[in-house]
Amino acid sequence: MAADRPALPADPGPYSFVPSRTALLLIDMQRDFVEPGGFGESLGNDVSLLQAVIPPLRKVLAATRAAGMTVLHTREVHRDDLSDCPPAKLNRGNPTMRIGDLGPKGRILIRGEYGHDIVDELAPLPGEAVIDKPGKGAFYGTDLHELLETAGITSLIVTGVTTEVCVHTTVREANDRGYECLVLADCVGSYFPEFQRAGLAMIAAQGGIFGWVAPSSAYLDALNRAVPSAVNVPNAVNVPSAVSPAAVGAATGPERS
Amino acid sequence: MTRTVDRLAQLRQPRLGPVAADPYPWPYDGAVAAAQTALMCIDWQVDFCGPGGYVDRMGYDIGLTRAGLPATARMLAHARTIGMLVIHTREGHCPDLSDLPANKRWRSAQIGAEIGSPGPQGRILVRGELGWEIVSEVAPQPGEVLIDKPGKGAFYATQLDLVLRTKGITHLVLTGITTDVCVHTTMREANDRGYECLVLSDCTGATELDNHVAALRMVTMQGGVFGCVATLDAVLAATTTGDNHGG
Repeated sequence: MAADRPALPADPGPYSFVPSRTALLLIDMQRDFVEPGGFGESLGNDVSLLQAVIPPLRKVLAATRAAGMTVLHTREVHRDDLSDCPPAKLNRGNPTMRIGDLGPKGRILIRGEYGHDIVDELAPLPGEAVIDKPGKGAFYGTDLHELLETAGITSLIVTGVTTEVCVHTTVREANDRGYECLVLADCVGSYFPEFQRAGLAMIAAQGGIFGWVAPSSAYLDALNRAVPSAVNVPNAVNVPSAVSPAAVGAATGPERS
Repeated sequence: MTRTVDRLAQLRQPRLGPVAADPYPWPYDGAVAAAQTALMCIDWQVDFCGPGGYVDRMGYDIGLTRAGLPATARMLAHARTIGMLVIHTREGHCPDLSDLPANKRWRSAQIGAEIGSPGPQGRILVRGELGWEIVSEVAPQPGEVLIDKPGKGAFYATQLDLVLRTKGITHLVLTGITTDVCVHTTMREANDRGYECLVLSDCTGATELDNHVAALRMVTMQGGVFGCVATLDAVLAATTTGDNHGG
């Protein structure tokens, strides 16, 4: 039945998914990357390009929760003694600030600091898994794959920052593991417009070598057709979802902070 | 005394670095013994750069994917001379396709070159077929490591990480095809695992030139988010062998 498997137009071809086997992944929507006055901005990046992701992503998050689908968040973060930070990552180049230094929002990319956490607009709800990752990819050094397998997830709706770094690395990892990835073009962001464009083009190249790309409106339309109650919910993200996250069982992994 | 002898022996070992690279002189720690460094030759297979192979069947210009072969052959000879570990990877699937994810198979069929289907070079991307073999210009020698991978990344579902750690490898020099797909995925995986990576711009290639250029530029942003980019000549110029060390 079509309603069981919403389909939407995407690049390079139609994408369809089973909501109960699909998870929304929000990658690294952390204050240090996204907010004015954070680590990203202190390096000279224009964070307004990442800020633009928040309004459409709020709608996607609210609708996905209302549809009772699995939601997962990731954070790039290290232990406070940096024992999980490879020397090549820590000491490379000559940046103005390094991981672990005291930045405008606390020690940079250190677990528990204010800047490392997810922006208030997209804050995880109790029961939503938060994956802390030491690298760019969300699969390496984490239990993401185990969480998804246990929850029976086979498809991922991918959002977050930055498009060509953590989003791309994670999509590549997911694709090699057989997950069907849909990247929402207006819900991923880069500090560099050139890489936003190139990054999205690479995903859909060669017949969709890493997955599919579509605007969030197409995803919301498809979700609305399949689960009419999902899309027209109040925009406040902290409204409890129509179906409790507990209903998706093992998808609710350990909350780690 | 023993320590002095060890130190002298160490000085006579070939070393790499600092290599003139973008965005910083590679490696981050100044220089590295060749013996701690691996040369990655990624997917130099007929299917990706030979006539009648997978990329050719999809309608792309294999001139673009072959462009890096001459420089890679020179790098390979250099690596063998100075004692780098040489690793060749091959993307391919078991003949029964039991390691082929359904969506990967579906997509390849959509583009008219279904993995496992017969072609002029044998079954596409199937282990043991002609198209799956590495092209003669950069053919492996006996004793070199071969890594067969089911995906784009050379770390997922393979023994690569175990081999590198067992051999004491900390630094990687990457060549191969295609720049934006298998080379980039492998470089990202390696970077997350703490390996210090250098990709050689003239030893890679892609099905579309724009993607090749963008992929190389992505490496260099944010202070070298995945490592560095350099040319073959920069590596040759930055190699110190025991003979010319002056010790």
